[in-house]
Amino acid sequence: MRADEATLARLMALSQQGDRQSYAALLEACQRWLRGYYSRRIAPSSLDDLVQETLIALHTKRASWDATRPFLPWLAAIARYRWVDHLRRLYRADEHELHEELLGTDDEPAIAARISLDRLLGLLPPAQERAIALVKIEGLSIAEASAMTGQSESLVKVNIHRGLRKLALMIEKE
Amino acid sequence: MTMHRDSDALIAALVGELEPVRPLRFGAGLAGALTAAGLSAAGVVMLLGLRPDWVAGSADPMHLVATGLFGGLGLAASVTVIVMGRPQVGSDHGGWRWAAGMAALLPLVGLAAAIGRGREAMAPEVMRHGAECFGLGAAASLLVAAMLTAWLRRGAPTAPARAGLVAGVAAGAFGSFAVSLHCPDNDIVHIGIWHAATVVAMAAAGRLVIPRLIRW
Repeated sequence: MRADEATLARLMALSQQGDRQSYAALLEACQRWLRGYYSRRIAPSSLDDLVQETLIALHTKRASWDATRPFLPWLAAIARYRWVDHLRRLYRADEHELHEELLGTDDEPAIAARISLDRLLGLLPPAQERAIALVKIEGLSIAEASAMTGQSESLVKVNIHRGLRKLALMIEKE
Repeated sequence: MTMHRDSDALIAALVGELEPVRPLRFGAGLAGALTAAGLSAAGVVMLLGLRPDWVAGSADPMHLVATGLFGGLGLAASVTVIVMGRPQVGSDHGGWRWAAGMAALLPLVGLAAAIGRGREAMAPEVMRHGAECFGLGAAASLLVAAMLTAWLRRGAPTAPARAGLVAGVAAGAFGSFAVSLHCPDNDIVHIGIWHAATVVAMAAAGRLVIPRLIRW
């Protein structure tokens, strides 16, 4: 099924009324959409956990959307919140390489670009964005990130800390 | 492959426990906040009485300005909290700051006037009366605080710390609004310091307590 805005919104509205068939289709479509949304923005080993955490959040918070509003910007806000929370909790991942797996690009490029994680990361100062990408997303150690960026180890830590704090405050920002 | 099986099992479990939900509508949230504020104000008036000049059919301009500023701040902050409960990339949560900036004139002017008066502004009787209004305002803000916290718990605020702060501002401002309907004092020092202190204290309390209750 196409994960387009109109279809997802219709399925969600039916799901809120208790329609299980629509809900199963919605969760399936959201799962695919989330895999694409998070791909390359989380260590591959964490992708499943994060997608599942976000599906659970969608389930428990499904009353916080209503049919007068677009669905994908709502889902993206939920997904960004879980993503930032996940990055905060993340310890060094096993992978040192980022797998290039491009999953399910969205059908609506304008909406996708507006609500993407790249856009959120792009709002950070470059040094903070780079420190988070290297350590929290690609799974490098602080020392490795320090060597790659030329920042001291303590500066890498400070940039990660400040960057995550800023991300948490900008979740709904365009 | 395992991961997809896990996700499929999770989806099946979530579908299995699906129950109908009533979506959080903006209008319902606003009506809830205004009802809580109205009940708090009515409670203060019923328990302690309306200001004497209102009973006599007149009103002091200073009192009207201050009451209007607190009411406006309570409304603006409540609207922000209600929006925060319904997340969406692209939402703006900054509107309440303009109302807060305008209401901040009250403590600024009040403090300046108090400094000009010196010790007189800290006389025991003045302090006692001020503390009474402060305590009453805090009590009158609890219903709004509870309502907004319940709203945020049902919703999905993506900035719990900020949501707690703004909910505290809304509750404190409506609490001061309620006290303004009873307190007969039109003095800018009293209103600017003690009535505004309710907003500041509730904002701090909201920032400290509410995020723990609404994090998800």
